[in-house]
Amino acid sequence: MTRVFDFLLYIFAWISGLILVGACGTFMVFLLTQGLPALSFDLIFGSTGMWDALLLKRVVSDGLLPAIVGTFLLVFLVLLTALPFGLGAGIYLAEYAGKRSKSFFSLIFDLLAGVPSIVIGLFGFSLTIFLHKHFTFLTPCLLISALALALLVLPYLIRSTQMALEELPTSLRLTAAALGADQATTIRFVLLPQAAAGIFSGIILAIGRAAEDTAVIMLTGVVVSAGIPRSLFNSYEALPFYIYYMASQFSDQQELQQGFGAALILLAICGLLFTLAWLIRKKITARLLYHH
Amino acid sequence: MKKIIEIKNLSFYYGKQQILDNISAEFAASAITAITGPSGSGKSTFLMTINRLWEELNGATMSGRVSLFLDHEKLDIYGRDVSLSWLRRKVGMVFQIPNPLPMSIYRNLALPLRMAGLPKENFGQKVETALKQAFLWPEVKDRLRDDARTLSGGQQQRLCIARAMILEPAILLLDEPTSSLDEKAAREIESLLLTLKDQCTQLMVSHDQAQVKRVADEVMEMVAGRMS
Repeated sequence: MTRVFDFLLYIFAWISGLILVGACGTFMVFLLTQGLPALSFDLIFGSTGMWDALLLKRVVSDGLLPAIVGTFLLVFLVLLTALPFGLGAGIYLAEYAGKRSKSFFSLIFDLLAGVPSIVIGLFGFSLTIFLHKHFTFLTPCLLISALALALLVLPYLIRSTQMALEELPTSLRLTAAALGADQATTIRFVLLPQAAAGIFSGIILAIGRAAEDTAVIMLTGVVVSAGIPRSLFNSYEALPFYIYYMASQFSDQQELQQGFGAALILLAICGLLFTLAWLIRKKITARLLYHH
Repeated sequence: MKKIIEIKNLSFYYGKQQILDNISAEFAASAITAITGPSGSGKSTFLMTINRLWEELNGATMSGRVSLFLDHEKLDIYGRDVSLSWLRRKVGMVFQIPNPLPMSIYRNLALPLRMAGLPKENFGQKVETALKQAFLWPEVKDRLRDDARTLSGGQQQRLCIARAMILEPAILLLDEPTSSLDEKAAREIESLLLTLKDQCTQLMVSHDQAQVKRVADEVMEMVAGRMS
């Protein structure tokens, strides 16, 4: 009976893995066949010359460059604002919080993680209206989008940091304590370097979420055409919104294909950012744990 | 006999269970004192009361007094003005299972120096001296950047002893330091401990009577939380 169960479990696990890989492969093939023909310099730079566009001599009004730059800026700003608080709260929950405060804060962060992104977007939008009454120059913009998205990704960062630290064996803490390390020193020199892999997987999730979310940004500052933003208080363009706009408003097959091209570029940007995060993690870990 | 540790009326509880029962004892300086006794008699807990490591565990309480005689002064280690970091640098500890930190061999030794806030320029020299003292230098000098966990069990334990010794502690607590090693590695550790006798006082928990005979200057037996 046990052998039959083991066999069935093995087959089920194998098929589940296969379905996942198959679905992922099918999706990639579909996206590549649809998006690749649309990829061209024109899609990115439109009628503007590449160097003129890159050196900001001329505004790109019919290409994806502003949306690509907007997406990068958004991810960068989200990480800049969410990372310190995410790490801090994760460290607090794993290392300092008592039982009561841990369950209280965990509940709050779980609730936050469960809030639909459109609600976060609405919150950002309402906040902008409120702030606009006092600071008239403030309208939906890059900064508001980044802050609202930071709120969205914060639970991922907190949870991944907390889990990564809590999963470390107690022997590590005892070893460090026996060497004379206080709690802060143990966290800094022993626990954080060991937890880096887990923390970075949370960062990767956060990057993915910040790069792809549309609901939040469509209510807080993204527009179809704005050019590259000159400041944090400008509206901006972003790839996920461009894809959404093209998919819902396309007037011919070519525009739909441009949407697929943008999706491919967004996927490539995510891949690039993941690779960058992985390289940084590898470099930091090597530096903290193995270099003299 | 010049004493270095004085214990008075030490009792220890884990939850409601009493582990140590009103222990009073003195330990001689620059000697190896073996603490023997059956499993579960409280030997490891006793060691942890001397560097206050038990405070890292939840649910434990103790009463009594533990004093150290350092630099001609008597110090109550549970006194308010005693820094835990300072105490644990003065009282090093080696555990039953070798516990190199998951980092390079060099970093394992440099970490205590860094945490003690010592100047970085001297790390290289201190690491080399500690490894030589632990008879490990010839085996690892060309692979200091390797992960410490790639060393053999005996090498790992010598690394842990070197790591505990790098801050020049006055007392070294050894919790069955050879019980997880083979005979050859255990003998190497024993030789190492004998060479360190002049530099620090050692309290060693051991089940191995032959080992106790080979290395210990004094023997104390612990049964059911009481010491004789």
